[in-house]
Amino acid sequence: MPVAVAEPAVADRDARAPVRRAGRGRRVRDALTAYVFLGPSLFGVLAFLLAPVVIVAVISLFKWNLLAAPQFVGLANYRRMAGDGNVWHSVAVTVFYVLMTIPTQTILALVLALLLNTKLRGIRVLRALFVIPWMATPVVMGVVWKWIFDTQNGALDSFLGLFGVDPVNWLGSGALALPSTAAVGVWSGVGYTMLFFLAGLQGIPEPLYEAARLDGAGPVQQFFAITLPLLRPTMFFVLVTSVIGSFQVFDTVYAMTKGGPGDATSVLNFTIYQTAFQLFDDGYASALAMLLFALLLVLTLAQVLYFRKRTTYDYS
Amino acid sequence: MRWLRNTILYVVLGVGAFVCVFPYLMVVFTSLKTGRQLNATSPWLPAIPGTLGNYTKLFNGSIANVAFPAYLWHTVLLAVILTVGQLVFTTLAAYAFARMTFPGREVLFWAYVATLMVPNVVTMIPLYLIMRQIGWVDTWMGLVAPYVFGSPYGIFLMRQFFQTLPKDLEDAARIDGAGVLATLTRVILPLSKPILGTLSILTVVFAWHNFLWPLIITSGDGTKVVTVGIASLQGNLGADYNLMMAGSFVALVPLIVVFLLFQRSIVRSVALSGLK
Repeated sequence: MPVAVAEPAVADRDARAPVRRAGRGRRVRDALTAYVFLGPSLFGVLAFLLAPVVIVAVISLFKWNLLAAPQFVGLANYRRMAGDGNVWHSVAVTVFYVLMTIPTQTILALVLALLLNTKLRGIRVLRALFVIPWMATPVVMGVVWKWIFDTQNGALDSFLGLFGVDPVNWLGSGALALPSTAAVGVWSGVGYTMLFFLAGLQGIPEPLYEAARLDGAGPVQQFFAITLPLLRPTMFFVLVTSVIGSFQVFDTVYAMTKGGPGDATSVLNFTIYQTAFQLFDDGYASALAMLLFALLLVLTLAQVLYFRKRTTYDYS
Repeated sequence: MRWLRNTILYVVLGVGAFVCVFPYLMVVFTSLKTGRQLNATSPWLPAIPGTLGNYTKLFNGSIANVAFPAYLWHTVLLAVILTVGQLVFTTLAAYAFARMTFPGREVLFWAYVATLMVPNVVTMIPLYLIMRQIGWVDTWMGLVAPYVFGSPYGIFLMRQFFQTLPKDLEDAARIDGAGVLATLTRVILPLSKPILGTLSILTVVFAWHNFLWPLIITSGDGTKVVTVGIASLQGNLGADYNLMMAGSFVALVPLIVVFLLFQRSIVRSVALSGLK
C-alpha cells in the first residue's frame, strides 16, 4: 500500500535525532536482557564445561594423589604415557572395540532402514521394536547381558547346548570378551542408527528412482548410484557421532567385565576412570584424558576432511 | 513373487526384532523365578508358578547396604530436576541466541558448539575436584549442578527451531506492548510444544541413563541413583541373577513406558537432530 508510506515522512525528520539516542540506550538494554536470558546457561557452560577443560590440561602437568599437595612435573606425565605399555594396550583395545562395533552397526542399520522403508502392514510396530534397545539404560543392560553370556544357565550357552555345543566362556576368555562387549554395543546402537538412515531415505525424492528405472537401472544399481551418494550427509552425521560415542564406551564394560579378564577389555575410558578414581593418580589420569580428547579430535577431523573431499549433492 | 518377498522380509525383520526384545524377556522371566527354578528351567522359559519374592526382597530393605526404593526415587527426582532446568535455561539461552542482538553472540555460540566435542570423561576429573573444593561431594547439589543449567546440544536444537518461526508474530506482540519475557512465554512457547517435548524426552533419557558422574560423585544412600544402585547390587550380590533381574526390570520399565507413550516424538527427535 504505497499511500500509507508517504504520510509520516515529514514528522519523521523531527523525530530522527531522539530516536537515534533512544536507539543506543535501547541497544544497551537489549544486550543486558540478552545476557540475563543467557546468564544461567553461560554460567553452566563456563563453570562445568570450559573451565574443566582448562583445569584438566593444567592438572596433567602435575603429580597429584588428591591427598598431598600437587607437585609440578612439567611434561613428565606425557613422557610416562609414551612409554606406558598399559596405555597403548588400552588405546588398542578401544580402537578394536570401535572397529568391531561401528562397521557392523552402520551396515546393519542401513540394511534395516532399507528393509523398513516400505509401507507393509505392521511396519511401524517393527520399527518401534528395533528402537527399544536404545531406551535400555546401558549399565543395566550390561548386567542383563552378563547374565545372558553366563556359562551356567546363561541363555546363549543353553541355546547353543541344544545343538551340542559345549559352554563357551564369553566374558571370561581373553579372546572373546571384547567381541562380546562389542556385540552388546551393536545391539543397543543399531535401531537408533537405523532411524537416522530411515529419515535420510525418506528425504530422497522418488522421481530420481523413477528416472533411474526408466533408464533401466536395477535395484542394486539404484542403491549405489542414488541411495548411497544421497545418504552421504546422514552417513557423515551417523559415523561422526557413533565413533565418538563408541570410543568412549564405559557403562557396559563396567557392568560386564570391569576391564577383564586381565586387561582384555580395559578400554581407554575405563583406564582413565580407574587411574583417577581408584588409583587416585589424578595428574596422570588427566594426561590420559587429554590423550583421549586429542584422539577424538583427530578422528573427527579426519572424517570431516574425508566427507568434505567428496562431492555433495544438492537436489533441492 | 510378491508374497514370497514379503514373507522373507517379515521373517528377517521378525528375527531381528526378537533379538532386540529378547533381553527384556530374560529380565522378566528370570526376575519371576526362585533360585531353584533358575537352575531347573531353561533360561528362555517362564517358571510356573512364578514368584514375586525377588521384588519384595528388593523393596522391603532386607538386602544389606542396598536401599533400592530410594535409588529409584532419586533417579525420578534427578530426571525431573534436570528436565525442568533444561526446559527453562535452554529456552532462555536459545531464544537469546536466535532472536537477540548482543556483543559476543557469534563467539559465544561457537564456543557452545565447540563444547559438543568435549568427551564426558575429560570433564569428570576437574568436576570432581571442583565439587570436592566446595564440599559438594556426595550431595544433591554436586550431582545436579553440572547438568541443571541446560546443555549446549539442547540450546543448539532449540535455536535452530526458534529461527524457523516467523518473526512477524513476535513483532506483533511487541507492538501490542508485550515485554520480551511475555512474548517468549505467550507467543513463542505455545508454538514450540513439539520441540519442547522432544527436548524433555531426550533429557529424561539422559538423566535415567546417566552413570559415570553419579558413580563418581555419589557414595551414600541419600544420593545414589538407580544406575549406581544396580552397580552396587551387582557388587554385593555377585551372581544372584533372580534379584539382579528384578532390579533391572524396575530400572528399565519406566523408560519403556515413556517410549510407548511418546514413540512419535522420539522418532521425530531423531529426524530433528540428525539432519542439521
